[in-house]
Amino acid sequence: MSAAAAVFLPLIGALVAGALAFVHGRKETKAGADRAAQLVTCTLMVLSALAGIFLFNSVALEGGGGTITIFTWVDSGSLEFAWALRLDTLSAVMVATVTITSAMIHIYSIGYMHHDPGKPRFMAYLSLFTFFMLMLVTADNLVQLFFGWEGVGLCSYLLIGFWYDRPSANRAALKAFVVNRVGDFGFILGIVAIYLLFDTVRFETIFAAAPSQAQATMNVFGGTFHAMTVITLLLFVGAMGKSAQIGLHVWLPDAMEGPTPVSALIHAATMVTAGIFMVARMSPLFELSETSLAVVTIVGASTAIFAATIGCVQNDIKRVIAYSTCSQLGYMFFACGVSAYSAGIFHLMTHAYFKSLLFLGAGSVIHAMSDEQDMRRMGGIWRMIPVTYVLMWIGSLALAGIWPFSGFFSKDVILEAAYAAGSGVGAYAFWMGVAAAFLTAFYSWRLLFMTFHGKPRMDETTLAHVHESPKVMLWPLFVLAAGATLAGLLGYEAFVGHDAGGFWRDSILVAQGHDALARIHDLPGWVPWAPTIVGAAGIGLAVVFYLLAPHLPAKLAASFAAVYRFLLNKWYFDELYDRLFVRPAMAIGRGFWKVGDGLVIDGFGPDGIAARTVAIARWVAARQTGYIYHYAFAMLSGVVILVSWYLFQTAG
Amino acid sequence: MSPASLPNFVPAVPEIFLAAAAMALLMLGVLQRAVAVGEQVRISRVVTWMSVLALLLAILLASAVTGTRIATFGGMFVNDGFALFFKVLALLATALSLVISMGYLERHDIARFEYAVLYLFAAVGMMMMVSANDLISLYVGLELQSLALYVVAAFQRDDSRSTEAGLKYFVLSALASGFILYGSSLVYGFTGTTNFDVIARALDGTPVLGVVFGLVFVLAGLAFKVSAAPFHMWTPDVYEGAPTPVTAFFSVAPKIAALGLLLRVVTGPFGDLVQQWQQVIWIASVLSMVIGAFAAISQRNIKRLMAYSSIGHIGYALIGLAAGSRDGLESVLIYMAIYITMNLGTFAAILCMRRSDRMVEGIDDLAGLSKSHPVLAAAFALMMFSMAGIPPLAGFFGKLYVFKAAITAEFYGLAVIGVLTSVVAAFYYLRIVKVIYFDNLTDALDRAVPKNLTFVLLGTSAAILLFFLWPDPLLASSQSAVASLLGG
Amino acid sequence: MIIEAVTFYILATVAVFAGVMVVASRNPVHSVLFLVLAFINVAGLFILMGAEFLGLILVVVYVGAVAVLFMFVIMMLNLDFRELRRGFLKYAPLGAAVGIVLLAEILIVLGGWSIAPEGGQRFAAAPIPDGLTNTDALGRLLYTDYIYLFQAAGLILLVAMIGAIVLTHRSREGVRRQRISDQLRVRKEERVEVRKVPTGRGI
Repeated sequence: MSAAAAVFLPLIGALVAGALAFVHGRKETKAGADRAAQLVTCTLMVLSALAGIFLFNSVALEGGGGTITIFTWVDSGSLEFAWALRLDTLSAVMVATVTITSAMIHIYSIGYMHHDPGKPRFMAYLSLFTFFMLMLVTADNLVQLFFGWEGVGLCSYLLIGFWYDRPSANRAALKAFVVNRVGDFGFILGIVAIYLLFDTVRFETIFAAAPSQAQATMNVFGGTFHAMTVITLLLFVGAMGKSAQIGLHVWLPDAMEGPTPVSALIHAATMVTAGIFMVARMSPLFELSETSLAVVTIVGASTAIFAATIGCVQNDIKRVIAYSTCSQLGYMFFACGVSAYSAGIFHLMTHAYFKSLLFLGAGSVIHAMSDEQDMRRMGGIWRMIPVTYVLMWIGSLALAGIWPFSGFFSKDVILEAAYAAGSGVGAYAFWMGVAAAFLTAFYSWRLLFMTFHGKPRMDETTLAHVHESPKVMLWPLFVLAAGATLAGLLGYEAFVGHDAGGFWRDSILVAQGHDALARIHDLPGWVPWAPTIVGAAGIGLAVVFYLLAPHLPAKLAASFAAVYRFLLNKWYFDELYDRLFVRPAMAIGRGFWKVGDGLVIDGFGPDGIAARTVAIARWVAARQTGYIYHYAFAMLSGVVILVSWYLFQTAG
Repeated sequence: MSPASLPNFVPAVPEIFLAAAAMALLMLGVLQRAVAVGEQVRISRVVTWMSVLALLLAILLASAVTGTRIATFGGMFVNDGFALFFKVLALLATALSLVISMGYLERHDIARFEYAVLYLFAAVGMMMMVSANDLISLYVGLELQSLALYVVAAFQRDDSRSTEAGLKYFVLSALASGFILYGSSLVYGFTGTTNFDVIARALDGTPVLGVVFGLVFVLAGLAFKVSAAPFHMWTPDVYEGAPTPVTAFFSVAPKIAALGLLLRVVTGPFGDLVQQWQQVIWIASVLSMVIGAFAAISQRNIKRLMAYSSIGHIGYALIGLAAGSRDGLESVLIYMAIYITMNLGTFAAILCMRRSDRMVEGIDDLAGLSKSHPVLAAAFALMMFSMAGIPPLAGFFGKLYVFKAAITAEFYGLAVIGVLTSVVAAFYYLRIVKVIYFDNLTDALDRAVPKNLTFVLLGTSAAILLFFLWPDPLLASSQSAVASLLGG
Repeated sequence: MIIEAVTFYILATVAVFAGVMVVASRNPVHSVLFLVLAFINVAGLFILMGAEFLGLILVVVYVGAVAVLFMFVIMMLNLDFRELRRGFLKYAPLGAAVGIVLLAEILIVLGGWSIAPEGGQRFAAAPIPDGLTNTDALGRLLYTDYIYLFQAAGLILLVAMIGAIVLTHRSREGVRRQRISDQLRVRKEERVEVRKVPTGRGI
């Protein structure tokens, strides 16, 4: 009951708000509709969050669970599945996280979107997104998962392009959608491959049958491959797209074109973590392929360090956080790659709190700065917006992994697990993770210092206008700050500690010999300390660069200009893709258009036929000379031809 | 030497009446001795209206005297339901042509009473044609009609185009008459008779080559009269040159009569040579459709365009004849009835195209008609849509029945070519609609639309538009007409 | 019989020759004269067959009226035939080809023609009743069996006459005509005026 309430209340809210979005008329009517939409969606969302917490309690803590079948969706031959809510610890954790953050963001949006004319539409999108996300995490089969997966993609497109009158927003929305298509293509191929192998799309059946198919093979493009590797790699491509892993990450920074609550909801707390969730959900399959796990680890670790390096030089406050998100997602992936799924999910949850806190805090800053996002035009405002300042500190401390904030617990356990894995890729992941932790601390405090300290670099009017955000925006931040502070401490034992077995039960499967998580207590003494130390070092470096010697960064950038430009231009990924895909695709498209369509189809089709028709028409009309003897001759010839025809017919 | 008994005049009463009426009106006109122009116009009006009345009376008479098939005058003249169908159509077409002629003639100072009298004689010729049951009466009827037509084609005698049209038509028509005569002589030579019934009896069994030759010549001559390709060459020039109301008349009444004659000839005396004439008709049909569709595309003069359009329409009508089946013949009758309605409507609209009281004939002159004359434009567009065969207008059903007959008779090639050419033809019909509705008004046509034209235009438009609601009368009458032609 | 045959062939040959010359001669006046020759020969053929009425009517109407009319027209129009024949050579081969093909085909048809026994009966000339002249017999046929065609032909001629008048007749303004009724109606007062003329001054 609470599960259904948690999942479907946002849908109701979305429908109501969506209907209210069509209300036009006088200002008062419009304002009333706006208010009603906000009230309905927020109320329902809060109720949903309460239901989510209740669900978490009953399923994860009290050991309930099961599957709620709503109704049959498809029953066609061997393909048979239903709309159903699968309730286990994994989905309960996700539901709780999603509903709580989403509820906070809904409330925050009331304040943030105060001046926007499209309030009901925005609230409807947000609620709809939440609904799809919940469908995704509670899916009982792959198709329903895909439904939610595509639904959040759709809402992401709508929300990034929310300010549809901005060309850049439209471009960003399109980019997000198209890049996600690449991932989705892999994902749907993975689903089909699973259906091919298992003849079902229901998780329960798949997981039960997985061990027996461990050594199965599959023909792909004429070659025979290990079936599990093929399937999981395909699924992972989908996860990479949704979770912005290196290669398919390009959409995430651009997605910051959307309103800030959107960035917090979709691009930090929920949607981008869908990939992690999916890998964790499919852990029974991933566990059967060493290759896939290695790939996941390498991609995750690479993304973690790669995104962190870029984050160090970005100037847009939201982009820094976006790359940070990218990097943190990398951590979660390599946690999964070393079979520490629970650690990944743990980090997912803590990250959801502190990253939405950071985003919403950044939103608060932007709000205070009259929609300025460039950190080079900020500075010295910590006295003016102290609450936001403190909240940003909490978020940053959590992100950097400083005790006792939540990031400390989750990040530590991931790094320890990577080290404990003992494999080559594990070591790679560990060292990359440590380096990324250093950079994370650095860019977090760079952000803090550039934004709040130093000399004010904005113009007078903006400076005069700087103000603390309204309460409706601050209260959600307090809640999230509480989560960012306490979630790690409270959840550690249950998620990854001694109680983990009873907590997760069978929602996550870890194969024999993959028990890296169990071995983290036997590590060398320096390992648990490494993240904290490098984090402190990173903070220290930031203090030097941005408080004590503000001229140093510029000097450094000048002396390593090539490296600086490389990072500033985000490793030239966009340019590379432009060369590799966009331009060839445009060229092929233009070729098909000009040659295939214009020359061949139009040429021989409509245009050609029309031109021939006209030519024939001219020719026929030209026979009409106007001379009687021509006409008479034509008549005579006609008769002669007809007569000859009959003569030959009779003779032949 | 026994005194010959009087022949039965009753079946020919409509013809006799119409001929007498024509001569009476001729006397009336002559005896008025009009000298002044105004006097001429007045007499012309009186004679024209009385001619229309005479034509309508002739229709009534024809319906009254027609029952079962009766042959008279030694089997040269026959009256049956088939003849009635075509007589009614031809007479109606003649009457309506006269109605739409009036204003035009007066404006061009050629309003003379002989015009209407010639129409009446032409109508008599047409009635004789469709009632002909002998090669000689066929020829005589045809000549009576044609001679009157030559004169009206050249009626605007101070206009070189009109006289050229009359002369061209005369010379080429004489050639076609020569074909018919030559073919008739061959048929006579090989069968020993000119009477249709006797020829039909004589042709039982294998066809003699000479008869086939004769048939081909006769068909060629008749094809000329219905302006079927490859004997169509005169049509565009004559249509363009002749005074517009005469063109309207040409495009309807003589065609229907000649087609009736053609149907009677091929199904009656040469009914057993169906294998032979089917091929001629097939070729003529295809060529007509193709030429009608393609040649019209490059036309800029609306009358010339209508000439090609009529060639194309005859091609479609001939599909039904080529099918040779009973419903094929019925479809021809239906098609022609719809065709003359559309054509009369279109020409009524064309006759409205005046600027500073002079006729204009360019398609471009129609630009922006929808703004200056919305009703006229709508009627014009309606006619064009119908000609192009757009449902639910009558033109669509005409084509539908014809194609259906062709498919039932397994003439798939004809049906396919018919559909393809009607697609091509739709282009130029719809181009006119485009010009009317989407081109910019440059120089508006005259505001006033004469009452007689409005009457014909609205009447035909209503018939075209509402045909699909009540098609039964036409279907039933065509059915009974074909039944009487085929005997049973 | 032999004389009859010889006469037939002479007349027929000359008729065909004259027909060719009508087309072939360069001078239009010669063409008309050859046409007259052709008519006369054909009239001779008719007479040879015993159709003296037709033969004579041919001479009277065609030679006496039509040909002379043609002659007048040609002389009045002063046609330049060389101008008219300019395109002749260009199209001659094509025209000749078509003509030859047609001729060949007709020969084939006629070559395969045999008078069937029953056909022969149908073709046998209707016997002329005794005691009737050619004219009489024609008249009887025309006004009984062929009354329909005869009347129709009359209509055709009427239409031709109307057509000729319509296309050529013009009532010209200002043409002086003698109107006897007007002349008779004239009164003295309308024509004669009496004036007093003063002596020595004039009018």
